[in-house]
Amino acid sequence: MNSCQRYRDLIEQYLDGMIGDAELAELRAHAQDCPSCREEFDRCVLLQETIRESFSSGMTTEQGAASVLARLAEQPDAGRGQSRLAPAWLAGRQTAVAAGILLAAGLLLGFALGRTSSVKPAEVPLPDRVSMSVADLQGTVLVRHEGSGVWQILTAESDVYLGDTFHSAAKAGFTLELKGESRIEVDQNSMLALTSYNGETQFFLEHGECTANLESPHGPFFISTPHGRVEALGTEFTVKVIDE
Amino acid sequence: MADELKQPAASDEQLVVATLRGNTPAFGRLVQRYWKMVFALALSRIKDRMEAEDIAQDSFLKAYARLGSLRNPSRFSGWLSKITLQQCTNVVRKDIRRRAVLGSQATPLTDLTAIPAYSSNPGLTEGQIQFVRQAVGQLPEKLQRLIVMRFMGELSAVQIAEQLGKRPGTVRVWLHRAYKILRKDLAPLIEEVGQ
Repeated sequence: MNSCQRYRDLIEQYLDGMIGDAELAELRAHAQDCPSCREEFDRCVLLQETIRESFSSGMTTEQGAASVLARLAEQPDAGRGQSRLAPAWLAGRQTAVAAGILLAAGLLLGFALGRTSSVKPAEVPLPDRVSMSVADLQGTVLVRHEGSGVWQILTAESDVYLGDTFHSAAKAGFTLELKGESRIEVDQNSMLALTSYNGETQFFLEHGECTANLESPHGPFFISTPHGRVEALGTEFTVKVIDE
Repeated sequence: MADELKQPAASDEQLVVATLRGNTPAFGRLVQRYWKMVFALALSRIKDRMEAEDIAQDSFLKAYARLGSLRNPSRFSGWLSKITLQQCTNVVRKDIRRRAVLGSQATPLTDLTAIPAYSSNPGLTEGQIQFVRQAVGQLPEKLQRLIVMRFMGELSAVQIAEQLGKRPGTVRVWLHRAYKILRKDLAPLIEEVGQ
């Protein structure tokens, strides 16, 4: 056992995350020949793995980040608070970046104004399911049901409800298939909400880009934005909302 | 700075400074780096996966809003873990108040048996996952936090000590106490899985 003491110490270092690559290779080589150390090492590896697996999130780290950034985009006040509270250690550098901060604040303010003038989803006790389905899903797309603060992962099987807001992260996108042949393709970095307007389901593009492909002929069809409504005159059109 | 931020090894401090300068994607990088840790911390206290995801999101939002008050940006993860645990405490308090109003109709958040387990890796059964969570949940809170920071935050004992302002020797002693308890409590499971 004494000859194995060095390897028992290495196993402890492994558990503490303080083992170097060369030492780990040495430990693995020894464990192949020493049943006692192999058993001890295997148990420690299993301990780590079972804990990691048992506490793993249903969201990947990319999806988690997308969900937080989506909520940040909905809460422009959060951004303003942090620039006001900028710490002393950053103060000396602030002049140089003042223009950048002002620009960022301006963008956030613009976004806030856009939101306050937007049509808010109707207040309903229970969301109504709408006859749309999700298709062509790529990357991380999140959905938040009306009245909920939680962003969830959108899947091809997800039901779509009135009041839903969709957020597509970078390199992501999806399509909403409507009745008949009509469809709306939502591009990356976009936020689209399904709101109620005069009893009809309305598409509200908060930011980003979407393309509507409508069956012909089609009835009146609009996509609203913080800057106004766009009416479809033909069968295909693209709407883009940028923060400028 | 912009090029440095694109490197996978951009430090927490660099990302914090970039965020304070208005670079929101830099904060997204911090979220990616610590999502697992924050979620696991929340799950170790709250038990419900959906609730834990919500708390994780809220914790990052709170951290973003308060980022300017972080005195030492290199201690971001220790500071973030405190915010997360505070969020959990707030939720538990609200739950206690809610139960006081609703009486026995409400399901306590800490009721382990009522909560479906989830794992992105189907290696463990639902029962085994619950068993592990229960074992970690029974650790003293101080040790729970260290285990989560070590295994889910991928921080070494020395890094944890830096983050929490403790001595490395102290953190190692605490971690080894936690390993010992977990190895004993999880021995039947380790035996089962290892076969």
